Amino acid sequence: MAIAQPDIPAPALEMRGVGKSFGNVKALSNVDITAGVAEIHAIVGDNGAGKSTTLKIMCGIFRPDQGQLRLGGKSVEIRDASAAHHLGISVVHQDLALVECLDIATNMALGAIPRRGRFRLDRRRMETEAAKVLDDLKIRVGSVRTQIGLLSGGERQIVAIARAVRMDLPIMLLDEPTAALGVRETAHVGEILGELRQQGKAVICISHDMDFVFRNSDSITVMRLGRSVATRRTKDTSRDEIIGLITGAIQGDTASSDPTFA
Amino acid sequence: MASEQAEHQSSTASQGVLSELMLRQETTLLAVIVAVGIVATLRNPAFLNPANLTDIARAAVIYFVMGCGASLLMIGGGLDFSVGAVFTLGGIICAWLLVWGAPWPLAVLAGVAAGAAVGYVNSVIIERLHVPPIIATLGTFFIVGGLCVQFTGGEDIVPLPETFQALGQGAVLGVPYIVLYAIALGLLFWFLLEQTPFGVETRALGGNRKAAIANGLKVNRLDTILYVTAGATAGLAGVIYAARVGSGQVAAGGPSVTLSVVTAVLIGGISLLGGLGTITGVAVGALLLSAIDNALIVASVPPQYNSIIIGAILICAVAVDHMRRERLYKRRR
Repeated sequence: MAIAQPDIPAPALEMRGVGKSFGNVKALSNVDITAGVAEIHAIVGDNGAGKSTTLKIMCGIFRPDQGQLRLGGKSVEIRDASAAHHLGISVVHQDLALVECLDIATNMALGAIPRRGRFRLDRRRMETEAAKVLDDLKIRVGSVRTQIGLLSGGERQIVAIARAVRMDLPIMLLDEPTAALGVRETAHVGEILGELRQQGKAVICISHDMDFVFRNSDSITVMRLGRSVATRRTKDTSRDEIIGLITGAIQGDTASSDPTFA
Repeated sequence: MASEQAEHQSSTASQGVLSELMLRQETTLLAVIVAVGIVATLRNPAFLNPANLTDIARAAVIYFVMGCGASLLMIGGGLDFSVGAVFTLGGIICAWLLVWGAPWPLAVLAGVAAGAAVGYVNSVIIERLHVPPIIATLGTFFIVGGLCVQFTGGEDIVPLPETFQALGQGAVLGVPYIVLYAIALGLLFWFLLEQTPFGVETRALGGNRKAAIANGLKVNRLDTILYVTAGATAGLAGVIYAARVGSGQVAAGGPSVTLSVVTAVLIGGISLLGGLGTITGVAVGALLLSAIDNALIVASVPPQYNSIIIGAILICAVAVDHMRRERLYKRRR
């Protein structure tokens, strides 16, 4: 007789045993990360721990040498950034990936430019959509026709986040989303991520900002020297433990700490 | 953030339409064209003769037609030094087919297709062999130039049918057909650049290639389209030139044509760094180059001054444009 299983949704994104080398340099080895639906999952680690490489594998910029990437429980191969979009992943890159000479509305539409008919750009819709997203997120950066090159670093960062939100995809990856932001703007980004969680989206966020991580995340994966050394529920851990895992003062888990990998 | 936003809005509001117009490269260039015209007319009133002005427009057509494709490519972050030789190739292929009795539409298409094919080869060399664009297109410039001489034996291809020559030499209400072709092509390229997702993606590619890749744009496909387009317009310009002069001339193109086109495009405000520029800027840049050529002849200035003046204007145009952008960004920040 079959035993009834509780209806647990598959994790939104899983990395299992992922490795990546660049020539003789081993950047990642045996990286395991699981981000659930309606969860903010932080990835922390020292410089060179492999966080950005991990994120670039998640969004198709790099391809892993070993291991598996699963979305919603299904194994996938992400060939490039365009394929990642199609698979439901939006990204806020550390360098923001904005084009200075284009305006806010155009930057927010890149990769999914609205059309009128087959060939024509629908500029009005592009501007209306951008203004609506900024308005919904309570972001004030002036006219959507303002060139990105005229914005401050913080404004650019918030526009990059708004662009990812506009795509309305189930998984959002962010690489240091608060690096150029002040205290108030950082709190605002935390609110935006909270709203995304409420909408059922999986948010994976690389950050050095421990205040931000502990205030906003549900779980934390610590990376050290190209490996994922531990994953903890945020409410069950402490800053001292996470910092100890980052520096190596505390020994990481020998196997993946995530029960789904058992 | 709110105070910064208010600052932006007030500074933006203070910029009137007139001051925005003054900030445009095209406005400065038009002023330079007027100045060139005044000086040339003072030395020889024949400069303002309608026939002479038509000659200026006719010569500008060649720079502009080639400049349309070349500027789109440069806005997309590419560079094509092979256009001078492709220009020759387009004219020769078209003329050769006409001499062999091919109907003119087929010959015209073949001239354009030959240019497009060289553009495709350029894109393959750049993307697959990872040769920098300046080297790749310089290489094809020499190869295509050599092939043209080999193919023709160094002889011009004549005679071309009257019907074909009429396409390059005729006029309607005093306006040469070739000027009308250039206007039509300019409108097409303006539409492509300003009104289509392709134009936006081209600017994104040239403005920040990494960002274009990160946003999922098909950058290799875009590169290929841009190089093919630059080759096709160079081939088309060669066809137009063959119709205008009534022969397929092996010495029609060459390094001077390549440099003139790149100069017209840069003077017109297309950024070598990609992302920025307009088709109207290229039109005014081509007109300025042609006006200077003509003014120096009309004013009986020795030809060596031509290159000195063009070189000085090129440096000034790029430097002034850089300073203008710097000032604009600083003020608004």
